[in-house]
Amino acid sequence: MQQTALKFSIMMTAVALAAMLAGVWLADIYRKHDSRAVLLPDQVITLFPDPKPLTAFALTDHKNRVFDLASLKGKWSFLFFGFTHCPDICPTTLAVLARARDNIAKNTVGADGIQFVFISVDPNRDTAGKLGQYVDYFDTTFLGVTGDNAQIGNLAGQLGAAYQVAIKPGMENYPVYHSAAVFLMDPRARYHAVFTPPHDAETISRRFKVVRELEAGNAT
Amino acid sequence: MRWRHPVFVCLILALTIAPAASEEAGVSVRDAWIRETPPGMTMMAGYMELRNNTSRPQVLVAAGSAVFESVMIHRTIVKDGMARMVHASQIELAPNASLIFAPGGYHLMLMNPKRALRAGDPVVINLEFRGGLALPVPFEVRK
Repeated sequence: MQQTALKFSIMMTAVALAAMLAGVWLADIYRKHDSRAVLLPDQVITLFPDPKPLTAFALTDHKNRVFDLASLKGKWSFLFFGFTHCPDICPTTLAVLARARDNIAKNTVGADGIQFVFISVDPNRDTAGKLGQYVDYFDTTFLGVTGDNAQIGNLAGQLGAAYQVAIKPGMENYPVYHSAAVFLMDPRARYHAVFTPPHDAETISRRFKVVRELEAGNAT
Repeated sequence: MRWRHPVFVCLILALTIAPAASEEAGVSVRDAWIRETPPGMTMMAGYMELRNNTSRPQVLVAAGSAVFESVMIHRTIVKDGMARMVHASQIELAPNASLIFAPGGYHLMLMNPKRALRAGDPVVINLEFRGGLALPVPFEVRK
């Protein structure tokens, strides 16, 4: 019995300590109101205390509609860069994002006003039709987006999302390198946070809940 | 006396010889699966846990399957902020150790499936090790 009580008090102390540390840590993050990125100690999300507003860009979604700066406004947007001929990291990440969306949808605030956007950096192979088929498979609400190299480079550049298409003439299967991060834009079309791989659905939905609550608090 | 029936004898023989053969092979595979892809996609990835049961290194040198045009050993690495796939010509398994092929890391890149593969479908992929050991591994397609 005594041992159980001891174990319990050790556990409670640990919980209290963890809560204190988390408090100190968050306070510290929000005290620093400069535009430097803050990678939280869990190495999962980098929050920008002073989110950077994006400037104009023009892409096209899988239904041939314009996807531009206005498409980001009024919604939280999760952006992921990739290409459909990607066997490992892209389907893995999209499956994680689909699960994260399910988690968010179950939350009281829900998934209205949230969009998930897969941006193909390989417009040469990823036509609108192919992109639609691809993103639909993971979640019918997902958007597939692409454009010409200059416009993809424009948005990727604003987010610091590196990519490289190593296309060579006559090559059917060329390698494509791309950022594996998930970028979070806020409803004011500002670059708000970035999730670092490896991604996990529960972590993304939990962290997003906190980010959204903090932002709602800031707005009022 | 029923146990002397030739079918039973064969069954018992098969059951006793099969594990012995793979034991002798020295490498076992667990949790082998292929990620189902959206329809029409030509690139898939296979994952598994390889275990070297011997006290000497085992080297995976190739993989192949009748279901795919080609199978390559790949690893996803993140370098300079970019994910890239690196072809591995061979992979050494340390003695008595496991090596996990998992999303975002080592994987078998499976190109141009010859038939549409859906969740639940079984697929056999042959793993070849240095020294001539060939291991047919049943994979399961999963969503």
